[in-house]
Amino acid sequence: MLSLKNISKYYQAGGNKTYVLNNVSLDVDAGEFVSIMGPSGSGKSTLLNIIGMLDEPSEGYHYFMKEPVHQLKEKARSALYKQYIGFVFQAYHLIDELTVYENIETPLIYQDIKSSERKALVADMLDRFQIVGKKDLFPAQLSGGQQQLVGIARALITKPRLILADEPTGNLNSKQGEEIMELFRKLNKEDKVTIIQVTHSEKNAEYGSRIINVLDGKIDSSRNL
Amino acid sequence: MFKNYIKTAWRNLWKGRVFNGMNIVGLSVAIASSTLLLLTVFFESSYDGFHKNIDNIYQVYFTVSRQGAPQKTGSMPVPLAPTLKADYPDVKYITRVAGGPPATITYGDKQIQQEVSFVDPDYFNIFTFPIIKGSKTALSGLNDVVLTNASAKAIFGDADPIGKTIVVKYDDQPKSFIVSGITEDYPANSSLGSDLTVRFENSESYNQLLKVWDSRTHIVYVQLNANANPARFEQGLKPFVKKYLKQDLEDLKRDGAKPLADGERESLGIFPFKNNHFNTDMGAVYGSSISKTYVGALLVIAIFILIIACINFVNLSVARSFTRAREIGVRKTLGAGKWQLLTQFWTETVMICLIALVAGIGIAALVMPGFKAAFQSGIKLSMLLQPLQLFTIIGLFFFITIAAGFYPALLMLRYKTTQVLKGSVNTQKPGKVRNILLVVQFSLATILTICTLITWQQISYLQTKPLGYNKNEVISIPIGNSINGLQALQLFRNQMAGEPGVVGISGSYINLGRGKDGSSSNSVRGFNYKGHEIRTHEQTVDFDFMKTLDIKLAVGRDFSRDYVADSNNVVINEKMASLIGKGNVVGTYLPMRDNEPPMQIVGVFKNYNFQSLHEEVEPLTLTMKKDFPISYIFVRLKSNNLLNDFDRVKAKWHAAFPTIEFTGSWLTENTEKQYRAEKRLSTIFISAAIIAIIISCIGLLAISIMVIVQRTKEIGIRKVLGSSVSSIVILLSREFAKLVLIASIIAFPVAWWVMHKWLEGFAYRITIQWWIFALSALIALTIALLTISIQAVRAALANPVKSLKSE
Repeated sequence: MLSLKNISKYYQAGGNKTYVLNNVSLDVDAGEFVSIMGPSGSGKSTLLNIIGMLDEPSEGYHYFMKEPVHQLKEKARSALYKQYIGFVFQAYHLIDELTVYENIETPLIYQDIKSSERKALVADMLDRFQIVGKKDLFPAQLSGGQQQLVGIARALITKPRLILADEPTGNLNSKQGEEIMELFRKLNKEDKVTIIQVTHSEKNAEYGSRIINVLDGKIDSSRNL
Repeated sequence: MFKNYIKTAWRNLWKGRVFNGMNIVGLSVAIASSTLLLLTVFFESSYDGFHKNIDNIYQVYFTVSRQGAPQKTGSMPVPLAPTLKADYPDVKYITRVAGGPPATITYGDKQIQQEVSFVDPDYFNIFTFPIIKGSKTALSGLNDVVLTNASAKAIFGDADPIGKTIVVKYDDQPKSFIVSGITEDYPANSSLGSDLTVRFENSESYNQLLKVWDSRTHIVYVQLNANANPARFEQGLKPFVKKYLKQDLEDLKRDGAKPLADGERESLGIFPFKNNHFNTDMGAVYGSSISKTYVGALLVIAIFILIIACINFVNLSVARSFTRAREIGVRKTLGAGKWQLLTQFWTETVMICLIALVAGIGIAALVMPGFKAAFQSGIKLSMLLQPLQLFTIIGLFFFITIAAGFYPALLMLRYKTTQVLKGSVNTQKPGKVRNILLVVQFSLATILTICTLITWQQISYLQTKPLGYNKNEVISIPIGNSINGLQALQLFRNQMAGEPGVVGISGSYINLGRGKDGSSSNSVRGFNYKGHEIRTHEQTVDFDFMKTLDIKLAVGRDFSRDYVADSNNVVINEKMASLIGKGNVVGTYLPMRDNEPPMQIVGVFKNYNFQSLHEEVEPLTLTMKKDFPISYIFVRLKSNNLLNDFDRVKAKWHAAFPTIEFTGSWLTENTEKQYRAEKRLSTIFISAAIIAIIISCIGLLAISIMVIVQRTKEIGIRKVLGSSVSSIVILLSREFAKLVLIASIIAFPVAWWVMHKWLEGFAYRITIQWWIFALSALIALTIALLTISIQAVRAALANPVKSLKSE
């Protein structure tokens, strides 16, 4: 599904290059559930952002769905991203001014999907996550777990093939975290959605099919479960 | 999708309502003031545009070179118009137009005052004043009169006026006229206008002047054939001048006048009537023409205010964008394209602008009555719906939304998504663009402040400068034309006899300043003296004129009842004396009138400003000869209760003339009225400066909030390290103080140049002083620092633990 070849990311500080990622190569197949682990500042979030095309590598080759992302123009990249990728954040990043319903609907608007179709899709999603009763609430009126649920629903609404999750349980208590991880497992198993998550927690990492350890901008180890 | 944009835009606007409120207040005030100003500009530029043949209508004028710069005048001799029409086939229509003081109209037992103009029958062919009742050739008979609808209503009420006879008295003899037509009322933007129109043949001394080429009494308009070339027509007028004005040309040559560009000393030209309203450098022009500079100043001020408001808009939006950065980041991760985000922000901008537009026009409508009264403007709000105005508004609207909406949106789009999502708004160094915008804003505000201070200074100078006569104790009363002026003066003298406190009572032909009748005129006579021409203002006066007005005598004596010969003597001012010769000129005889004995100078008085202070004191001759009637009575009272005295004079007036309205006024008021245009300008400057400063300060407030948000961490660290509150306030204010000072320095030369040009229009003027500039800079700086320091103090007092934890 995606393939990173010799990816580096560095900042020019004075005469020195400070590497965040140093010559990383990684292949992920469709249907995998990959957990990326590593201490703070190891570069795991940057790696995720590069995979998610939110960040650009300084060097290297990046293929996604057989497209050479490093050669694509902004527009084509954005189209690719819109079609296949959904993001879930630690801080949920729901839009405060929009209701639950509208938050979930927003990605569909950006894909120019018709209003009637949007209604049906959002209704399905609300149903599936059992949050129909909360559809008219604003994010501030929800608990953290509920917000993250909405965040995931929003990421899933466009039926992405790849979900990228940056510490999705980082702001949640352990019970809420477990529920979210169960949800991810279910998505991966039943809907065949590829998931790549960044996490600090050994326990959460073990929900995945592969754990990659990142240290000082390099892949330190990789093991299949 | 669009509905969605509007919904989110609305919620966002509501969320940022403090910022957006400031934005809307600033913008709507700017829109209101520029709407009023722009409507005034439109109105002033629309003058006379309603005439169908406007492009082919011209006013005929003379350019005459005497001493000094050549002078242009529209005053024409009576035989000129018929001769011109006979000699030049390009002239399609031609009309003479003369006006006069208000005439008394009598119909049955009704008597009212109306304005009369004297025209040729072509008048209604040239000018589009549609005749709504009566004959199309309404002025075919010598005794025909055409009324405006309003005037007909005033005279006849609802009865049909056509064919009725009215009696009009505008000189010694009342004349009867038959109403032959009614025109629509003249539009407010018409230079021409009078209540009654009669044939030119009825004008005063028409018959005496029938063949006289050197007495100029009226204005001539021509309509050229549509295919005529005006430049060639003008060129073709040269032989005309040579043929009919030979004597004039020879006299000018003898007096050593410099030839004009075309080699002659006098030439005839045509001036396009469509520019009539801005024709300020020609004498004898109809309508109250105003200077193009004045209209230009209004336009520039309107643009200034709009620019300042737009800059505000940009700065406020940028400030807001810091709190919006995360939202944009999220939207980007949800797949929003650049244009989709731009459209979203543009929708918000359009909504703010729409609210501001509606509010602005609402404010304009509220303020309009006051504005119209203060600036004598004929604008209406419905003028906004005319195509040109509508187009301008829509154009400006889109320009503002695009200029003010896209820049901040683009700036926000440039944020790095990953950074924004991490929660760190990019705290790069304050933008150059923002600083430049601030400097521009404050430069404009400072320019307006300087202009305000200088116009205000000049106006107070004009009002306090001694004029050479007593303006505080003298009441001037227009007599009107229903009685003989000299008799009225006698009657009033008798009536006032024995009243305490009366120092003197006299009369004259021309008023001082501008009275309540609004009339002002000029009478200049030229005559040959010892081989050269002397031109002097001439003023008909009665006994005690100098005593009444407290004009100081230099040599000789004032007119006196003891000397019978005084009816043929003159008293002149020092300026006139200097033209006649060195030494004592008292006793000299001046051949002022052809075919009449020369007049002897019996006294010389000190110069006084008989015209407005725009003009230097010119030669002036006072005469007792009653060629011109006494039209104004002057009463000087020595007392300590002005209001009481005024009422006393009024009561006496009503006792003497029960049927004549009392329209007297103190000379102080009259002289102040001469500077109405300047006062209007200064009021506009003051209002504009205040608005500009307020709007700029709203922007500055927003920016200071933004900067302080950006520097919260720095402030926290400094406080932890032991910095005092005052040093933090200074730290935060210093940067802005620098920008405001730079703005002032840019504003100085611009403002100096503008005001220097303006002051050149006054013969008597202040010199621009350096402290005006210093003061305006100080004002700008003080206001700016006050605005900033509120925020700065708040930031400095905040608990550092909070600000450091947020990072």
